[in-house]
Amino acid sequence: MDEKVPKSNIIETEIPMGTVHPAALEPYRVRLFVEDEIVQEAEITIGVNHRGIERIMEGLPVEKANALTEKICGICSNSHIWNSCRTAEMGLNIEIPERAEYIRVIMGELERLHSHFLYLAHGCEVLSHETFSMRVFYMREIVMELLAMIGGNRVQYGCSVLGGVRPRCDLDEAKLLRLKNDMDALEENLTGFVDRFMADSILLSRVTGIGVLPQKQAIKLAVTGPTLRATGVARDLRTTMFEYDNFDFNVITQPDGDVKSNLIMRALESFESIKIIRQAIANIPEGKVVNRDWEMFDTDIVQSYIEVPRGTLYHSYRLEGGRVRHSIIRTPSMANIGAMQYACIGDQITDAQLCIVQCDPCFTCTDRAIEIIRR
Amino acid sequence: MFENILTNPIFAVVITVLVCFIISTLLPGIERKYIHARIQQRIGPPVTSPGIMAPLKFMFKENVNISSPVPGLYKALPVICFIVVLCVMIALTPQAYMIPALASLVAIVGFLKVEEICYVLMGALSKSVMSVNMPFPDQIKGAAHNNANRSFIEDISAKRSLRMITYGSFPLYLALFAPVTAAGSIFLQDIVSFQQVNGPFLFTVSGGIAAIVFFIGYMIILNEYPFSIIKAKSDVIEGPYMEYAAKYRAVVVITRGFFMFVLGAIFSVLFIGVPPTIMSWGILINIAVALIFVFMMGIFSAFSPVFTNRQLLPTILGATLLGILSIVLGLL
Amino acid sequence: MGIKSFSRARAIHVMLVYTGGCNGCDIEIVNSILSPRFDAEQYKVFLTWNPREADVLVVTGPVTHLNRKPLEAIYEAIPNPKLVVAAGSCALMGGVYKNCHGDIPSEEIEGPVENVIPVNAKIPGCAVRPQDVLAGVVSLLPTLLDAD
Repeated sequence: MDEKVPKSNIIETEIPMGTVHPAALEPYRVRLFVEDEIVQEAEITIGVNHRGIERIMEGLPVEKANALTEKICGICSNSHIWNSCRTAEMGLNIEIPERAEYIRVIMGELERLHSHFLYLAHGCEVLSHETFSMRVFYMREIVMELLAMIGGNRVQYGCSVLGGVRPRCDLDEAKLLRLKNDMDALEENLTGFVDRFMADSILLSRVTGIGVLPQKQAIKLAVTGPTLRATGVARDLRTTMFEYDNFDFNVITQPDGDVKSNLIMRALESFESIKIIRQAIANIPEGKVVNRDWEMFDTDIVQSYIEVPRGTLYHSYRLEGGRVRHSIIRTPSMANIGAMQYACIGDQITDAQLCIVQCDPCFTCTDRAIEIIRR
Repeated sequence: MFENILTNPIFAVVITVLVCFIISTLLPGIERKYIHARIQQRIGPPVTSPGIMAPLKFMFKENVNISSPVPGLYKALPVICFIVVLCVMIALTPQAYMIPALASLVAIVGFLKVEEICYVLMGALSKSVMSVNMPFPDQIKGAAHNNANRSFIEDISAKRSLRMITYGSFPLYLALFAPVTAAGSIFLQDIVSFQQVNGPFLFTVSGGIAAIVFFIGYMIILNEYPFSIIKAKSDVIEGPYMEYAAKYRAVVVITRGFFMFVLGAIFSVLFIGVPPTIMSWGILINIAVALIFVFMMGIFSAFSPVFTNRQLLPTILGATLLGILSIVLGLL
Repeated sequence: MGIKSFSRARAIHVMLVYTGGCNGCDIEIVNSILSPRFDAEQYKVFLTWNPREADVLVVTGPVTHLNRKPLEAIYEAIPNPKLVVAAGSCALMGGVYKNCHGDIPSEEIEGPVENVIPVNAKIPGCAVRPQDVLAGVVSLLPTLLDAD
């Protein structure tokens, strides 16, 4: 199947859902155009979350702006501050201590774990499978405790600073040991869950062939991240990032692009993340965690792309007298909205929210650059 | 004097219904705490909270103007549902066998149909704030299909209940009529006395299959996961019950618990031959059957996702075929 | 203690409304009720998504323009007695979005929540911790019990 086309163009009725809905963890409005309970077209209206982050970032000192980027999203907060610091570091040619790079990778992968677990839990919740949802939330709690141990907070950790990581986030022997033990526990739990999930024929019949996003269409819509990899395209920016040079991991792909592929994709990728964290614990070099030896000067527009749990994240800004100018942030969900609308077509209304959830939406990330014209 | 009161049939019926009702209020709590919460490895709410304390709390809430085109009818529906369930309960007691028109399977099927039709009306009359009524500018310049006909999420749920009436409740009714094939009568009195002579219908081949079909039908008519398509949380939130507030919601909550018990009682009358009455120890069997059904339903619902129309149709078709098989076996 | 307060103390239905925060608080609150680790149901707190059923409205996020009317509509839909909990620093004071003084002031925030609907309890934190959410909802109990 190359392209899904609605079977007919008759729009029987329209069902709007949102902005508050149990299947959505964040406010957005979705209008489903249906005929006989089959979705013919979907329209997602975002902008509900618009807080104008790039605008209020204009003219902030770069350290403060980095802290502000963290508040873009409560799920991938570390990725935002990491990429924002990375942008400034690239512009100012700041050398980052190797130990700090390792800690950043550990934080990044822990965040990937918690984001993927949230995805699995939320997916099961939208499937109305409360038991599995709770099991995944329980596993996720291990990761949250680790994040709280390293960063001091459960959600916004503020780990990266210009030139390295915050000294608070340095990992001593005890923390590394706990990290190591928890990774073992996590792998065991996750293996158990995946085995149980794959053996559940009722659940599999519910997710197989739902919300199919064909590969051709995914490339056409410029989908990024795990959603793209679940359609069979092995594209992962981590293979090109210098932070990941010393790590050995596989880029996971899944063939079908449906909900099942997406769920398995997240589970398998979590195993890769555990692998990366284990390598980082084993090889973490000694030394300082932050390099304070740098000078501020005006730069051109610097751009930085990194792979975050949900896709490709882009930050760019110019520094002028230590202040941020012309900031642009492009988050993965921006590209994936098209995929969400597309995936709904041809499925039951009950599956529509599932099809949206399968593309890992994060509208809080996305709602910044849209201009709202108020009358 | 005291003997007279105790043997008075009306008094016996009232006491029976009252005892059953009090036990039934515990059922939602038992399902939530001892099954769902145990499976999900957590402590869970107190047993009394979902079934008793929540309705009591709703009783004391201030009534609001509900958003519905016919508020009077909409508010009357849960009361009608409760009365219907009460009637089924009364019909099951042995004292009601004096009125053959009430104590027959046709009457019970009729009552259950009324219950199902109530869901359709509830869905059609509820206009909640959570979908179309949400003040959000989405029909704006540039939006797709700006002049489309807009539906509330409850309208979807009403359509689904209509579908459930047409094919979803087949398994339950087939299972109800399976004992008739053995007893050769649609009157409960004959079915009960037949089983008291020949042993419970449940332990025949036909009865065993019919019991499985009855259980599937039980879950379908109670709208429990996985058959809860008319109130699936992932799209229609609570479906027909969206707009009930205060005491009407209390009635809804109470009716659900009572309905669980009554369906269990129907099973024990039709398949075991023990009518619920306070006059004999047989009522313990009724209570045990109701509890077993709640336990089984809790386990099934904790381990299954909600079914869409795609899975619902084959499941119901399979259950219907099983039901027909059991009736054919009974006739042979 | 009358039967009214007695029953109210044993079934509290909480509804969550997110009004455009960073998602952190929303997930922590849903987590606090869904995760078996915290399990709000053992304290007789139930999560609902139907305003007609709710007693306590938990609001997170600085209220953005598009969220103001939905929030008011949901608040109106809840039958009395109703209480509002503002969770997270955004809901308390507009958060970093309102108080971040760059060159261009923020124009997108209607919040804090107090400006839109009356607030009965405030839970600070960025993001709120699940323990705090449970404590905040439970701290409302005396107010809820004494209400008419």
